[in-house]
Amino acid sequence: MPVTIEPPPGPDDPPPPLWRRLAWFLGLALASAAATAAVAYALKGLLV
Amino acid sequence: MDLDALILARLQFAFTIAFHIIFPSFTIGLAAFLAVLEGLWLATRRQVFRNLYLFWVKIFAISFGMGVVSGVVMSYQLGTNWSEFSKVASPVIGPLLAFEVLTAFFLEASFLGVMLFGWRKVGPRLHFAATVLVAIGTLISAFWILSANSWMQHPVAYEQLADGSLRATDWWGVIFNPTFPSRFLHMTLAAFLTTSLVVGAASAWQLLRDSAQPESRMALRMAIGMFAIVAPLQLFAGHLSGEVVRVHQPLKLAAIEAYWETRADQPQSLAGIPDRDAARTHYEVAIPGVGNLIQGVPRSEVLAGLDRFPREDWPVVWLVYWAFRVMVGLGLAMIALGIWGVVMILRRTVDRATWFLRATVAMGPSGFVAVIAGWIVAEVGRQPWTIYGVLRTADSVSPVGAGQVSASLLAFMVIYATVFSAGAVYILRLMARGPASGEPPPEAEPETAGRAPGSPLAAAPAEPKEG
Repeated sequence: MPVTIEPPPGPDDPPPPLWRRLAWFLGLALASAAATAAVAYALKGLLV
Repeated sequence: MDLDALILARLQFAFTIAFHIIFPSFTIGLAAFLAVLEGLWLATRRQVFRNLYLFWVKIFAISFGMGVVSGVVMSYQLGTNWSEFSKVASPVIGPLLAFEVLTAFFLEASFLGVMLFGWRKVGPRLHFAATVLVAIGTLISAFWILSANSWMQHPVAYEQLADGSLRATDWWGVIFNPTFPSRFLHMTLAAFLTTSLVVGAASAWQLLRDSAQPESRMALRMAIGMFAIVAPLQLFAGHLSGEVVRVHQPLKLAAIEAYWETRADQPQSLAGIPDRDAARTHYEVAIPGVGNLIQGVPRSEVLAGLDRFPREDWPVVWLVYWAFRVMVGLGLAMIALGIWGVVMILRRTVDRATWFLRATVAMGPSGFVAVIAGWIVAEVGRQPWTIYGVLRTADSVSPVGAGQVSASLLAFMVIYATVFSAGAVYILRLMARGPASGEPPPEAEPETAGRAPGSPLAAAPAEPKEG
């Protein structure tokens, strides 16, 4: 699956509800932080 | 010259850090550029800003990834090749690097995910917040790295324990040591300058092929505006940094300017071949009576020359001397390019000014060269110390053999040549394609050639179909 850089919504696209946008914001941020932490621990595991 | 473990470890660090510094010096400025583009798109809804954002964010993502990978190697080397340094300095340097990871790297890594994958999901305003947070994260990262390096240049607020290790006595003193503010300013401006020159070069390249390309016209004007303002400011920031060096590292200043004698009314050396053994500069071109004025001190004030310091403490003078001149020479060329660009914009001929556009393309890599030259001045100028006046480089190296270090150096050279060359070629290909050619229109997003719209691969040329 190619890595997709998501373009912005079109001018006529109805915005999703605020709670859903906030949930995505938090979810993506936490998932990204978790992915970074996982890589960091994997690298640490290789060294120790 | 014997290639012992010390020389090889230094070569390895120089090689890997010269690769690494290319990426942060680009992404610091590019993250800020993306935040500006998105802010302008939010304010105006002009398609040109959206297209530019989607184009440059791909390059940012690739550069950020390569910066992370090359940065990890740097910290590993502190353990593999510089364990004596780590043993002595880690109680001070370690927390600064940890703060960098916790406050900056995780901020960038977290919100990069929103930047890349969440524009529709989180909506325009939250996405803009993520872009701004990533841009702030890159600056915080530079803050901590410059703080740690500045402390190594001018160690203060510490004590040495009985086992030889150092311990901070005042963390504010360590973080905000006197050499830090001017060096942080100098490096941040260098990053903005580097990015604006790359954006300018990529845009000029497009305009040489099609002078009506709207995204490149806009980006070129933004780039010219940036380097026309920042390049003169950088001259001022560099001078400030030089004054700090004069006060806190007079030996480094003496090497930069090839002051062999301690005297008043120093000359300003423009070019020559510094000879460390003979303690003179061969074939020197110098302006008498100007050196003190350029250093911002009266002509009657005595400025320390290399003769004031033990010879074993001198750095490699010719390298520091010429790296400084390359940096300053390129800085002056950037100022000239900025003035030329502003004149072209005022005459409304910038998009068709072939010679200016060619010069802008040629100056594209100059920011990287100037950054590397500047770091050579800072780091080679500090030799033979890793922590200035406290720990010698020769006492910092791990108890490893030349064979071990040369094996890892060779491995790094092969891997870096492969991975980073591929990355650099890919980025250059993206730049050569230009912003408009690879972007789908906002509503219709055809899955052409099996590549997702907006993905980095979507900018690459479609492969020919078989049969």
